[in-house]
Amino acid sequence: MGEVGFVGLSNYIEIFTSDKDYLSGIGHTLMFTVVSNIVKLIPALFLAIMLNEGIRGKGVYRTLLYLPSILPYVIIGILFTSILNYNNGMLNSVLEFLHLGFLKQKWLSDLNVVWKSIFGVDAWRGVGYVMTIFIAGLSTIPRSYYEAAQIDGANFWQRLRYVTLPMISGSIMINLVFGITYGLKVFDIIYVLTNGGPGHATEVITTYSYQLYSSGHYGMSTALNTILLLITAAVGVWIVKSMSKQEVQQ
Amino acid sequence: MKKKVISALLCAAMLTASLTGCSGETSDSGNSREESSGTESAGQESSGETAAAESGQKETPDMDFAGEELSILVSAGWMDNRYDDTIARFEETYDVTVDLQTIPADQYSDILQSKLSTDSCADIFWIQSNPFAISSVIVDPEKYCIDFSDAGWKGIMPEARLSSCEYEGKLYGLQIWHNSPEYVMTYNKTLFEELNLEVPTSYAELLNVCEKIAAEGITPWFLPGADGWQHQLAFFQIGGVYEEAVPGLYDALNGNTATFADNAKMLEVLTQFKELSDKGYFGEDWIGTDSANMANEFGDRNCAMAMANSSYIKQIQEETGTADEFGLFLIPLGDNGSFPTNPAGPTMFGYKGTEHEELVKTFFDFVTTTESLQEILDNSPAYTNLDVNDAGLEQHWLPEEEEFMNAVDKNKMNTPVLQTGTKYTNDYWGDFGADMISFCQNQCEANDVLKNMDSNRAEAAKIAGDSAWE
Amino acid sequence: MTKKRILAVLKHALMILLCLAVVLPFYLVVINSFKTKGEAARMNLSLPKEWQFSNYKEVIEKGKLIQGFFNSLIYAGVSTLIGVVSSAMASFVMSRRKTKINIFLYYFVLCGLFFPVNYVTLSRVLSTFLLTNTKAGIVIVFTSAMIPFCVFTIRNFISSVPVELDEAAVLDGAGPVALFFRIIIPMLKPVLFTCFILQFMGVWSDFLTPLYLSSKSKLFPMTMAVYQFFGKNTNYWNYIFADIVLTCIPVILVYLFGQKYIIGGLTSGAVKE
Repeated sequence: MGEVGFVGLSNYIEIFTSDKDYLSGIGHTLMFTVVSNIVKLIPALFLAIMLNEGIRGKGVYRTLLYLPSILPYVIIGILFTSILNYNNGMLNSVLEFLHLGFLKQKWLSDLNVVWKSIFGVDAWRGVGYVMTIFIAGLSTIPRSYYEAAQIDGANFWQRLRYVTLPMISGSIMINLVFGITYGLKVFDIIYVLTNGGPGHATEVITTYSYQLYSSGHYGMSTALNTILLLITAAVGVWIVKSMSKQEVQQ
Repeated sequence: MKKKVISALLCAAMLTASLTGCSGETSDSGNSREESSGTESAGQESSGETAAAESGQKETPDMDFAGEELSILVSAGWMDNRYDDTIARFEETYDVTVDLQTIPADQYSDILQSKLSTDSCADIFWIQSNPFAISSVIVDPEKYCIDFSDAGWKGIMPEARLSSCEYEGKLYGLQIWHNSPEYVMTYNKTLFEELNLEVPTSYAELLNVCEKIAAEGITPWFLPGADGWQHQLAFFQIGGVYEEAVPGLYDALNGNTATFADNAKMLEVLTQFKELSDKGYFGEDWIGTDSANMANEFGDRNCAMAMANSSYIKQIQEETGTADEFGLFLIPLGDNGSFPTNPAGPTMFGYKGTEHEELVKTFFDFVTTTESLQEILDNSPAYTNLDVNDAGLEQHWLPEEEEFMNAVDKNKMNTPVLQTGTKYTNDYWGDFGADMISFCQNQCEANDVLKNMDSNRAEAAKIAGDSAWE
Repeated sequence: MTKKRILAVLKHALMILLCLAVVLPFYLVVINSFKTKGEAARMNLSLPKEWQFSNYKEVIEKGKLIQGFFNSLIYAGVSTLIGVVSSAMASFVMSRRKTKINIFLYYFVLCGLFFPVNYVTLSRVLSTFLLTNTKAGIVIVFTSAMIPFCVFTIRNFISSVPVELDEAAVLDGAGPVALFFRIIIPMLKPVLFTCFILQFMGVWSDFLTPLYLSSKSKLFPMTMAVYQFFGKNTNYWNYIFADIVLTCIPVILVYLFGQKYIIGGLTSGAVKE
């Protein structure tokens, strides 16, 4: 790696002034963090509630929904680049079969669609994991609470609002913290699906820093990682602070 | 009182737990450590004993390495299974074990750098070498590589290959690679004949051919853009054409007196590439298609041409059972007529910090015997020849290859491809490819693609302390 | 009644649809693992022309899957067990005795959630303790890596176990060990098994850590094997898929086994009232 020379803040200035759009990489990272959590947490919560109630075959459903998170990313990449292929991919074939041909998309190369595809695959992979944590939380709520609520005539939303959500605040917190840190550090799912492409449309901080590192720009790569660390630390401190506040209230 | 005891106990447990988090050394996992390392050393002992017992009966040539272990660090795909038999024979001859560590390709360079910098590298390691790679990948070969300058096998490498293995006059690496035409146009000969098409030798002819093929509902040129590393070949493999347009261009690029940007020929090629893309000649969604199904696309006659190695013909025929015949021609972008000479390839190095230096040297000697070379070639279904100076070696050139090679003007074989003929270019392969796609999607101009390459190379030169860029 | 029925049917329909979305790609993996290389490259849903059971034999031999399986089992099994149990102990103390130092330690451990891993420093640390190239070294790293996750998750749940319970147990003469293992652990069963399942899977699929920390291929985990079937110019899709099927099975079994213990509110509810 040669000699280490001190270059001051020039690497950081470079990040904000370079022709290369590092800033959009940072923006994409933040966007991914927000959206990917929304599309995973909310469906996962309802699935968990459904599977925690007496639905028949819930064991099978739970296991099946968890399955995708087992698969290694490279396999997810192989599978979904094939499934999302425009000409002979499974998704477009199914759409055509259902006479929904107008919904066909160039899933991984159309600039307006590619992020949606990434969120879709990410949710496909992650929902089961999030759901498992929610189920663990739901399982600690005593049945009697719901029975009492039902007697009081509370409907589903009221029960959700006044019983379920407060009781599983722990699980929500866990999922949020993991989801946010996952989102900020996201790399694999993008690397295997688009590698930041088409062009640079889906670059995030980590894909930029990976490219820089592999072409020998260790300094710039580290600078980008430091920015990521700063963002993560700031978010982390904020979460931890609000958690300790909550604890004091309790 | 009791509460205090509880808390004291649990505090201790907690401390150990959290200490694990920072130092990586705890007492509770210490037990498992003893267990597993115990069984391991026992295993080693017993294998050592049997090895010693065997070596007592067997005559080992030259030196006694009995029981030693030789480790090899390599990226997936660089050795395939070609070396398996040779390694097995090596193990038997010298009564040693070879520990082959195949690393996922996208992790390899990180792993290698980390192993080199922590002094824990395998006895033998590989890099994808080119004439500029030793200084940029290994950086300090003096420190990490065994000096093979006096090795007997130096002579087996042709001059062009040697340039990827030497640095500042010393020989470090061994490159045994094939000399088949790499990434030229592979085309369906039968289909061309049926459509009365001639092999295109200029861009205009290519356009014409594409138009006729597309009219049949067949993708003229299968280009797997989603792989991220294939479509750039169309631009870089025709390096000779740029040098021809501006003689001395390579030297000027290496001396920082010329740029990619504003190079008329390069702009022309990029514009042609985009035209093919716009007209749909690469397929409806080439940017979102990867190469997984390429052989079948050929077999099913869904496509007519693609950039591939000559051995790919064999693969298409074997995997799909098609009766069609295939042939090769030069990529005609920019009216190119140059052969893609490329002295790059996976190259083997000896790690200087090894405890088995003599064994490493013996392995290099062993691999370069005619017997081993023949074995390696015969075990590589994907390669038809080895680019070595060894009269005793029986090559297996394909008739298609010979026909193609004979047709190429020998004077058009002198310029190496752009990515390895110019410094720092190859390091930005992926970047350039992404920019090419941006250009095809109208996100930037052709000259921006070239400008980015210039600024990237300048950056790399700065890091390398290249005097030409100061 | 009918309304409830319709709702149930709708729920099942939704579940089946979702599961189909999950299962189809998996079906793709399984069915293609029985095809020839060329057929598998098409990645379509049709049945193989000829079932290639030999793919599995080939993969087990070439990929040294047996050795890899036992390595992975040790890494995932041992480190997850140690990690979950010791984190449970730690979080119990952190949650019950909120001294300044405990609170500090808790947040200190939490930092582990946010900071990235640096393998170069890590392998230096291991070599200082003579743990490079040992299974123990790798297990220790995995254990420490999961502690922030486990402590954070478990501590969040411990607060829902009423303190009166420990007090009652101590009054009944339970020692610290008995209190923790007899009273607290059973209460935490759902979360402990959740942690175990999630972390077991995490370690199982992480091949980078062993890769960076060992320079012997016999320490490589099962998940590494798949990369041998990616060639420079050609990939052996059939072997890749067969390998994936085999590496997934143990994790599926662990999930099936573990999820029985994450049962609905009955147990914890009973005590809570």
